Amino acid sequence: MKMNYNEFVKQVPKTMRGPLSENLIDIILEGDESLAIPPSLAKTILHYWQRDQLDSEAGLTNLLKATFEADPEKTLKVVDAFDLKELRVALQPA
Amino acid sequence: MRSFGIEFVPMELFWKTTYYSMQAEKLGYDSVWITDHFNNRNVYVSLAFIANYTDSIKMGPGVTNPYLIHPVYTAQSVASLNEVAPGRVICGIGAGDRTTLEMLGKKMVSPLRAMRESVELIRTQIAREKNGYDGKMFSTSPGARFNFKTKGEIPIYIGAQGPKMLGLAGEIGDGALINASHPRDIERAVSLIEAGAEKAGRGMDEIDVAAYTSFSVADDRKSAMKSVVPVVAYIVAGSPPQILERHEIPVESGDEIRKNLAERNWGEAFGAVNDDMIDAFSICGDPDQCVEQVDELFKTGITHFITGSPLGPSKKKSINLFGHEVMPHFKES
Repeated sequence: MKMNYNEFVKQVPKTMRGPLSENLIDIILEGDESLAIPPSLAKTILHYWQRDQLDSEAGLTNLLKATFEADPEKTLKVVDAFDLKELRVALQPA
Repeated sequence: MRSFGIEFVPMELFWKTTYYSMQAEKLGYDSVWITDHFNNRNVYVSLAFIANYTDSIKMGPGVTNPYLIHPVYTAQSVASLNEVAPGRVICGIGAGDRTTLEMLGKKMVSPLRAMRESVELIRTQIAREKNGYDGKMFSTSPGARFNFKTKGEIPIYIGAQGPKMLGLAGEIGDGALINASHPRDIERAVSLIEAGAEKAGRGMDEIDVAAYTSFSVADDRKSAMKSVVPVVAYIVAGSPPQILERHEIPVESGDEIRKNLAERNWGEAFGAVNDDMIDAFSICGDPDQCVEQVDELFKTGITHFITGSPLGPSKKKSINLFGHEVMPHFKES
């Protein structure tokens, strides 16, 4: 089943989106190279970064997609730190 | 005018280097330099990507070398990049380092001549001169021109450390990239560049003099130091005895570090790096300490300060620290 990240991002309070995007981008910038994300997704992230929109709904959606592909464990830790319970349940591995 | 640049070694995925370059542009850095080593990502692929996602920051190889890359190809590469980022391209070129050249079976023959001819040939080629170039090391036949025109100028910066190369940078460079971090070394380099400029009847206002430093900033000096130690270890190991003696570093310490690096005894090699070595070969500390050190460098007459590797324990955070807490001190004064 394909996860609809956008639906979950909509539930993230606006005040939380900036700090959340910073934490998520750190995961992929500092992550191991073997955990590479697809170039097309990386380019989408650069597109939103260029426009200072990584904390927008679309920016966060793509960031979340990328971090979860690159490092699910660290993504879940960030989600926990922000107390995003519904997102946590949705992302929780079966 | 004081400018600020940043160097990246493209060891990471293309989009990470691009992300950091965009971050630097947003914070007001003036230039981004990508190193050119055969064992990392290609410099021009990296630059083309950066060009695509930035609007104002200048960019170029920092530095390429004429032994592995023929100057005609360097000219072609920077001229092509100039179409993606018009008016923003700069070209750093140096003689390279012997160890890397030897790995590929190349010898650093007549570096001064190689550099002089390279700069002349790059300019000839970009200007599409009809008569070709007739040098002793490089030549092109009449008609060996580009099939495309280049708009505007592409300044050429000469990477230099030794006295003669620094003099050459003053004589023919649009800019100089001084490979050093200590005010004493930079001061000496600036006077050699000045002498070269004088010899050619040029004024120093025609040359952008940059300190290309090993740099590390963090919230606290201890973290910044931890990050810069490996870089300093390699600099100490590669420095000739007279450079070590100038900084009162025992030559034997350099020998020991070199031996341990060669044997991949990282713990011993890095453990032997002390505060004196870090002070001699890097700009390192918390933001306030970096402000003091950068200020000392500007007093020597440089016009451009470049933060080179490693930048700090976290690139993103270190770029932010420099952009928010160090650079404004100079940009606004």
